[in-house]
Amino acid sequence: MKADEVKVCVLRMEGTNCEQETFDAFRRLGADPEFVHLKQLEGRDTLAGENRSLDDYQILMFPGGFSAGDYVRAGAIFAARMKASSGRDLARFIDEGKAVGGFCNGFQIMVELGILPAFDSAMSEHPEAVLHANDSGRFECRPTLLKHVNRGKCAWTGKLEENEIRLIPSAHAEGKFMLPAERERGLYERLFDEDRIVFRYSDPSGDVEAPYPYNPNGSKFNIAGITNDGGNVFGLMPHPERVFFRNTHPDWYRRRVGPEEGDGRKIFESVLEYVMKRF
Amino acid sequence: MDVSHLFREMEAGTPVRVVLLSEASEDELGGISEIMGIGLSTEEMSRIRTHFISEGRDPTDVELEALGQAWSEHCCYKSSKYFMKRSFIGIKAPQTVIEGEDAGVVEFDDEHVYCVGLESHNHPSAIGPYGGSATGVGGIIRDVLCMGAQPIAVIDPLFFGPLDTPAEEVPEGINHPRFIYSGVVAGIRDYGNRIGIPTVAGMVNFHPGYTGNPLVNVGCVGIGRKENVIHSRVGGPGEVYILAGGRTGRDGIHGVTFASADLSAESEEKDRGSVQLGDPITKEPLIHSCLEANEKGLLRGMKDLGGGGLSCVSGEMALDGGAGAVIHLDRVPLKEEGLAPWEIWVSESQERMMVSVAPENVDAVLHMFRKWDVEAVVIGEVVEGKRVKALWHGRTILDLDLEFFTAGPEYCRIFESRKVDRDIPDPGIGPLPREKLEDALLSILSSPNICSKEDVFRVYDHEVRGRTVIKPYAGMPFSPGPSDAAVIKPLEDSYKGIVITADVNPYFCELDPYRGTLSAMEESVRNLVSTGAYPHSVTDCLNFGNPEKPDRLGDFERACTAIGEFARHFTLPVVSGNVSLYNESEIGKVPPTPTIMMVGLIDDIRSATTPDLKEKGNIIYLVGRTRNEMGGTAFFRYMGVECSCVPDVDLELSGKCMDAILEMNGEGLLFSVHDLSEGGLAAAISEMCIGGGLGADINIRRVGSMSEDEGEPMDVNEKLFSESNSRYLIEVPPQYALKVEDCLSRKGAPYTKLGTVLGDSLRITDGETILMDVPVSDLDYAWRNGLRKLMEGS
Repeated sequence: MKADEVKVCVLRMEGTNCEQETFDAFRRLGADPEFVHLKQLEGRDTLAGENRSLDDYQILMFPGGFSAGDYVRAGAIFAARMKASSGRDLARFIDEGKAVGGFCNGFQIMVELGILPAFDSAMSEHPEAVLHANDSGRFECRPTLLKHVNRGKCAWTGKLEENEIRLIPSAHAEGKFMLPAERERGLYERLFDEDRIVFRYSDPSGDVEAPYPYNPNGSKFNIAGITNDGGNVFGLMPHPERVFFRNTHPDWYRRRVGPEEGDGRKIFESVLEYVMKRF
Repeated sequence: MDVSHLFREMEAGTPVRVVLLSEASEDELGGISEIMGIGLSTEEMSRIRTHFISEGRDPTDVELEALGQAWSEHCCYKSSKYFMKRSFIGIKAPQTVIEGEDAGVVEFDDEHVYCVGLESHNHPSAIGPYGGSATGVGGIIRDVLCMGAQPIAVIDPLFFGPLDTPAEEVPEGINHPRFIYSGVVAGIRDYGNRIGIPTVAGMVNFHPGYTGNPLVNVGCVGIGRKENVIHSRVGGPGEVYILAGGRTGRDGIHGVTFASADLSAESEEKDRGSVQLGDPITKEPLIHSCLEANEKGLLRGMKDLGGGGLSCVSGEMALDGGAGAVIHLDRVPLKEEGLAPWEIWVSESQERMMVSVAPENVDAVLHMFRKWDVEAVVIGEVVEGKRVKALWHGRTILDLDLEFFTAGPEYCRIFESRKVDRDIPDPGIGPLPREKLEDALLSILSSPNICSKEDVFRVYDHEVRGRTVIKPYAGMPFSPGPSDAAVIKPLEDSYKGIVITADVNPYFCELDPYRGTLSAMEESVRNLVSTGAYPHSVTDCLNFGNPEKPDRLGDFERACTAIGEFARHFTLPVVSGNVSLYNESEIGKVPPTPTIMMVGLIDDIRSATTPDLKEKGNIIYLVGRTRNEMGGTAFFRYMGVECSCVPDVDLELSGKCMDAILEMNGEGLLFSVHDLSEGGLAAAISEMCIGGGLGADINIRRVGSMSEDEGEPMDVNEKLFSESNSRYLIEVPPQYALKVEDCLSRKGAPYTKLGTVLGDSLRITDGETILMDVPVSDLDYAWRNGLRKLMEGS
């Protein structure tokens, strides 16, 4: 496929609020993103021509925000509605190798949907992990350094070097990735062994055990983002769409000359390249 | 007083009462106003009686409630309008597109405008800090939205009593500053974060004068295409009113009347119902759907329901469009059954917008709202004539002449402007030994008004929308210092930026409202200029005490005059604003607090500058003139010296320094710029060191002696800690030094070469004498942990 043929579904509902910057990231790379309200997949309150099907797209994005206010567990309501109306379509979308991504609230939604970590199938019946309240007990909007630890599985980071560090900012109150305590050990081992960990919070020296504030939420093993077994589904707490350009980095003005490219751009380039090659 | 005999049921089955004003005595008029809680004076009630007698009938309770609201200080600015008109309303500037509607609209570039608004939510935040501040954010966002602009930034200047105020000093019925502070920050966090508009700037200020009455000011900036600017008025008769958004309930009843009276011990109990409840997850889709409908050209007029509710909005929109209106009150969706018609009419429930739509577009607009699950109903029509009518199941229960209804009283109350003593007493401090000076600096850096507010701005999402170029902090990513103003790049295809700051120093205003206000204007200018932007428009929020007391009104008059003089001198339009009076409690009035929010523009955001020091070996200059005017400064407060000689503003000098900095920055000569404000030179250079993680070696011998008209040499304390206006510190690479000195001389801006960026400590000498030498890590620790220590109570 060519870039301009790649259709990206930027899915939203009330409280989704990082959709514009997510949309912009794909559009700047020449892809064809579209805002789609969840109701357009559900076929509710729509006029002729407004309904959409996941089959029309190659990339599905769950943007950040506070879907439905996050008054229950973050992302729970979005996920429940999505699962009820389009659960099967979504599982098929994933099985076909199409790309699904979510940042921040998007990652929380994906975990609630059961499409991450998705240990045994494209979509588990119940959530298998949780993004719990930050250890600090509060919302944290701060720069974070991410070390790319993936060894090649993840379609969303194909253009990144292994062990390179990128500055991708965080802004969340519930980002502590946790697995069920009784099976924790084995599950973490699987994530590492199966190359399912994509990014870990790090300090400038590359230490992936660095504590707060480098690890903004207290995630075990400093896990910031993971992928599924197929490598096509990717969730990340920090916000790559906010650093598409250098000029939204927290310290761009400290260097007088430098690239215009921000640290988040390569993630969007990677998935686009993956889709263009595969379809 | 029993006035119950003056209320009569309108007719069986209609929950409306007729109020027999025609039969009431003067005393009883006051009694009616009191029992209804509408806050009108006997004189105003009497004027209303005369009006209704001329119409040959008595008013209904719905009508009286409507008038009480429309004629409140909050809605009609009856005590303040005179002074504002006289001083600063209507300053002609080419960039102004719309002044005096819900938000100011100003030209951004050939195709775009930006919108600005700033409002107070003081009394609600005193009673319900969480809900009060959240709905403050909601309200100001609606003001920007209803001009057809996409909100892109929230700014919140906040003023509290000291966090360590002993409980017994807090007046009865008033919450402790710590409770209010935590609640207000949480309210802004939860609301602002949920609707996805970044909170990018603001200030957190502490002063004992706010213990009885905190101030919560909230500002918003939006961006829109010129052709999408929509007025807060109907197009004309035949259009349909659609009410969209949240349901109407009993929250926020009498909110504006509550805002127009002093806070008392009973406020907590009595006025709780006046505090509105916010719902960001209704608001967020409301923003989308209103903007989408507007972009498609489906709307003729749009206005938000804020203070004044349905009553003010339906009347004002019609009148401004040269028409009248009929509203069917029984069609308004309610939060609960059983609201009386007057409650529906004046409720200030949140998240509601009124749009006026041509009949052929009604279905399309309703669909747009339905798509976003936003409730919307047709509630009335725009009609010929100049009356607004409200119907209850077909029965007319309100029928008001719009001119009378909206033309509230305007007073020029008695005011007394105070005389300020400009004598400078001998502070009796003398030269301080090195350790005392170092202590003074560290204490000032960790003091509540100067220390880092990181714990506040980190809980606000200041980066959502991905367009925040300069954030509330600047410097090393993991140990930044402060920034002077926030920079937003609002458009995809342009590097032009919007720069936003808000400022006021209540300590100056308390001692000298006139010079204090000038200083607030000048400091706002400095913040923008330091960032590389030219000042473009002003919005103000004037928080003062009870205007019925002549000294309070005198302070207000002085502040208005100062804003006018400054704005005229620089042709800066005051495009919107808000007045909040009656900020008093039993422990007295708040310090006069004219909060200034200023917007600047920068042609290319890539030339924005920040305060953090960038590179060893660069030269540091002080630009501007340092004077002995130490009244209200952080240093005098620290030393306990009373003096009312606060920093003055020399408008000519201010302009010269501004021009010089902007020109040098435009040429890329400045690596960092920071303005001098609280804590003076010593605090400013410390903040630059902290942000850059770099030290500096500076000599202050020549500070204050740079101009021939300066008489006495200044003492070290004054050089270090004077807070004279129009001053900047700049960091210049050695190869640009000549160019910089040439530009400063050419512009007539005084300057002193202070020293260089060097090492990892701040070393300040005066001639040969070492005044202080403090490791940057110590400066950093003091500054970064000031607020945290106060909150932890250690």
